[in-house]
Amino acid sequence: MRKLFLLTTSLFWVAVVAIAVSGTSTSGTAPQETTGNLAESSAENHFTLAEVADHAVEKDCWMVIDGVVYDFTAYLPDHPTRPDIILPWCGKEASEAYKTKTRGRPHSSGADSLLPDYRIGLIK
Amino acid sequence: MLPGKWLKHQIDMRTFKEARVLIITLIVVAALLYWTYPQSLPVFRTAGIVTGWLGSGLLLMSLILMFREPGLAGFFGGLEPMYRWHHRLAIWAYIVLLTHPLLLAADLWLTSPAFAWAVLSPWQQNWPVRFGWISIVLMMPGLYVALSPKLPYSYWRKLHHLLSLSVVFGVLHLVLLGANGILLIVPVLILVFLLLRVVRSDYGLGALPYIVSSVQHLSPTTVEITLKPMVGTLNAVPGQFVLLEILNSRNFDGCAEYHPFTISEIKPDGCISLGIKDLGDCTHRLQSIQVGAEARLQGPFGQFFTEIKGPGLWVAGGIGIAPFIAVLRSDPLSHPTQLIYLYRADSDAPYIAELNALAEQQALLNFKPVATGDSNPDLASVLPDTGELTGVECYLCGPPFLVESASELLQQRGVKHSKIHFESFEFR
Repeated sequence: MRKLFLLTTSLFWVAVVAIAVSGTSTSGTAPQETTGNLAESSAENHFTLAEVADHAVEKDCWMVIDGVVYDFTAYLPDHPTRPDIILPWCGKEASEAYKTKTRGRPHSSGADSLLPDYRIGLIK
Repeated sequence: MLPGKWLKHQIDMRTFKEARVLIITLIVVAALLYWTYPQSLPVFRTAGIVTGWLGSGLLLMSLILMFREPGLAGFFGGLEPMYRWHHRLAIWAYIVLLTHPLLLAADLWLTSPAFAWAVLSPWQQNWPVRFGWISIVLMMPGLYVALSPKLPYSYWRKLHHLLSLSVVFGVLHLVLLGANGILLIVPVLILVFLLLRVVRSDYGLGALPYIVSSVQHLSPTTVEITLKPMVGTLNAVPGQFVLLEILNSRNFDGCAEYHPFTISEIKPDGCISLGIKDLGDCTHRLQSIQVGAEARLQGPFGQFFTEIKGPGLWVAGGIGIAPFIAVLRSDPLSHPTQLIYLYRADSDAPYIAELNALAEQQALLNFKPVATGDSNPDLASVLPDTGELTGVECYLCGPPFLVESASELLQQRGVKHSKIHFESFEFR
């Protein structure tokens, strides 16, 4: 049991360091392959993650979902959950939160259709 | 025949009760995954979400198993199997939870390593994600300590609370990320069982107050104390054990921690006697305990003696004689029983004079005391031959090496595993 613990803990840190090194060395560069949304819109504004992070408050709330930057400031009062669920994601890469759909609480196709209204650009 | 009853007939009762841990864990995890399984997401993100909930389910079961209540221990086959599974499930939960952030990051890594790091990095993420990180990082030293059996118990116990703290941060992570509706039951139950354990077990709300009413020195390294109940009495039977905490009071400086001791006598007035061998810091201090010392007892635990159905072979090593003396003191034997008592020297053998007297009074008791000196006992010559073991229920109590060796030898001599009874006291 002890060996298993030490082995898995070591592997975890190796993986974290590998992601950190590759993530920081390519920081700010555009993804090599993009989804349909991204490919279509070369004329759009491009932002870095650092720029998105400057808009991390309720009255100025940007988020990144799948490489697309959204300004949700105007939408926040209409979001159905309590504010503390969505506010912490302002200024962040929020694909995880958006897509953490489960049987009990899916983001509906209605939510997907709302996204384009708040789209302001792409991540560099 | 109902499936449960049929299963009980196929396997012995101890295995059946222990199997309940796995069955309930599977039900909890399956229900949780059914409810939370993501719909139409990429494979890595799906795996990331599944591992998060799977780890939470395993953690919940692990916490239920550290709630030391006699009823729960009886249901799961005893405190020792409960603790064994508590450790196993906690390690499994930890390993599964380690993969949770990595899989979520892996999903975006194919798009861009920078996005993957943005998902993982506590510096770029918000407090709900940071709480998850704090939880995982606290688990690491907590589990390292939990898996260090040689660390002194008092330090081990305090450092084990790192894991409690880790659970609290894990719950914050889960709730702030948006667990709501029926899924809130998971963090709520996790916190409830953690609190129950701390309040009822660690702080003694589930314990009964007793006072030391007599102290008898049985040998230079063994003392027998009798505890008188102050409020209610424990409903114990011979062969069971209790968790004892001697409190710090005016006339004695106690250990302020619970240790297991086998009951050596249950008196009609509810008084309970315990034989305490000097085996560590706390038990060394208890050799000089005084009448009037205040104590708390939790239990009773253990199912060492179930119904005694026929002839018996009892093998005791040192203070492992305690459950046997408790049975002999309670009622005359109803079946022929051979008691082999292994100890180093007559002067170091608790209860030896009383056992000799009992053997004279009880015709069904064949008492065989064996002084081994400083060497390990020659069990091959001490234990009965194959012909004498037919239909005999064997009960073993003593140091782990003695129990393991005797069990192995008895099985070599044709005794079925289900006919060999022993309990372990490894509760870390």
